[in-house]
Amino acid sequence: MASSANSNPVPKLYRSVIEDVISEVRELFLDEGVDEQVLLELKTLWENKLLQSKAVEGFHTEEQAALQAAQQQQQQQQQVQQVQQVQQVTQPAQAQQVILPPPPQQAPQQQVIVQDSKILQHMSATGMSAAATAATLALPAGVAPYQQLITSQGQILQVVRAPNGTQYIIQQPQQQILLQQQMQPGGVQAPVIQQVRPFTQVLAPLQGGLPQQTGVIIQPQQIVLASGNKVQGNAQVMQAAGMAQQPGQPTTTAALVQQLQQAQGAAAPQAQPQAQAQAQQQAQPQAQPQPQTQQPPMMLQVDGTGDTSSEEDEDEEEEYDEDDEEEKDKDGGEDGQVEEEPLNSGDDVSDEEDQELFDTENVVVCQYDKIHRSKNKWKFHLKDGIMNLNGRDYVFSKAIGDAEW
Amino acid sequence: MAYQLYRNTTLGNSLQESLDELIQTQQITPQLALQVLLQFDKAINTALANRVRNRVNFRGSLNTYRFCDNVWTFVLNDVEFREVTDLVKVDKVKIVACDGKSESTQNKVDK
Repeated sequence: MASSANSNPVPKLYRSVIEDVISEVRELFLDEGVDEQVLLELKTLWENKLLQSKAVEGFHTEEQAALQAAQQQQQQQQQVQQVQQVQQVTQPAQAQQVILPPPPQQAPQQQVIVQDSKILQHMSATGMSAAATAATLALPAGVAPYQQLITSQGQILQVVRAPNGTQYIIQQPQQQILLQQQMQPGGVQAPVIQQVRPFTQVLAPLQGGLPQQTGVIIQPQQIVLASGNKVQGNAQVMQAAGMAQQPGQPTTTAALVQQLQQAQGAAAPQAQPQAQAQAQQQAQPQAQPQPQTQQPPMMLQVDGTGDTSSEEDEDEEEEYDEDDEEEKDKDGGEDGQVEEEPLNSGDDVSDEEDQELFDTENVVVCQYDKIHRSKNKWKFHLKDGIMNLNGRDYVFSKAIGDAEW
Repeated sequence: MAYQLYRNTTLGNSLQESLDELIQTQQITPQLALQVLLQFDKAINTALANRVRNRVNFRGSLNTYRFCDNVWTFVLNDVEFREVTDLVKVDKVKIVACDGKSESTQNKVDK
């Protein structure tokens, strides 16, 4: 293996030292009448401490080597599965592709990708897969992603099948993509309209497969949905979310699709804070998109005490100061001492603590061959050293250094 | 007697800690632990002299220097340690160096 030429010599060196010491000491132990078991325990303790220190890379005992080999095999099997899935994602897409692999019962993740040339311009396929896996990992345990739909604007819709059989569509908001696409409003709208069709087509099999309720779970952030009008799509989806979150009112994906098609007709863009305001106001009628005028929510003051008007405070402060001055004049020295002690206590500088509490003092322990100085220029010729730098161990047979004093 | 210099390293400290644990559980005597450490000194000195074959360069600014009992102690700042493979930078490093020239002085206890 070519890589072994550059491998770290430290673990091997440490291992050889340990073996030498243990073997040499075995006689001493037997002379003292100490059991062999104690010797083995010493070796185990020694190696464990070295492992815990993390100062040495690739240091492991024989037992742990076998364990690591077994773990690596398991990890490799998992990685192979993930790599296969990633390869499916990163295949360069022609105009539109809908991939519907047969869903297995026990889930490795399946991804349904609706791709378009525009998508690839905005996002790389690897970015989508990474975001998709990240989004999938963010799901709570026990909820396996049944299908992942990546819409035209790069939003990741995850059709999730919960253990009780209901299917949920989880929308993962991605603000960065939204900003990118807002920069190009002209070029996006035309293909966007076309892209809704595969979106609806993909939803169609879902409708057939829905046995029961379909809920839409929206995360309380910005939401972008694939539609001609970005924000009105938000409004409608949030309305649907509001309706869905109200008990006893399940919304179907068919209703969602209808809303999207209605949203395409409308052309007026809206500001996003308005969409957020709409999200916060859940009790809204479902039929039509909301008008533009929405006030931002009232901001409560949560900082400080319940201060009211500033005028009252000034009056109070003035009165308070006058009282203090009178007290100072009367009592004089006693108040002065009381006030000085807390004042002096703040004079201590805490720099020493910072200097003492660093994690690793970088230390080099070695022998010197020659130390040379000329004016303030020092030259060091060192040998046979062990270094601990930034928490890691290094060794050298020779070290040459320069420093200026 | 080899230098006890290398006892304050990761390898040496972990050995000392392990021996202390065994002493506390009274599985070994302190005398035996001392013998183990002496054996460790020999082993590490031999290993470093014979089994290590690499070279390091470094450069920095010298903060302090001390030469006492034939032991040099330096503190350097903003140091770069350069090996063929990689580069390590540290803000502060302490170098403790014993005399590496003559082996004979190591065996002398009383002068």
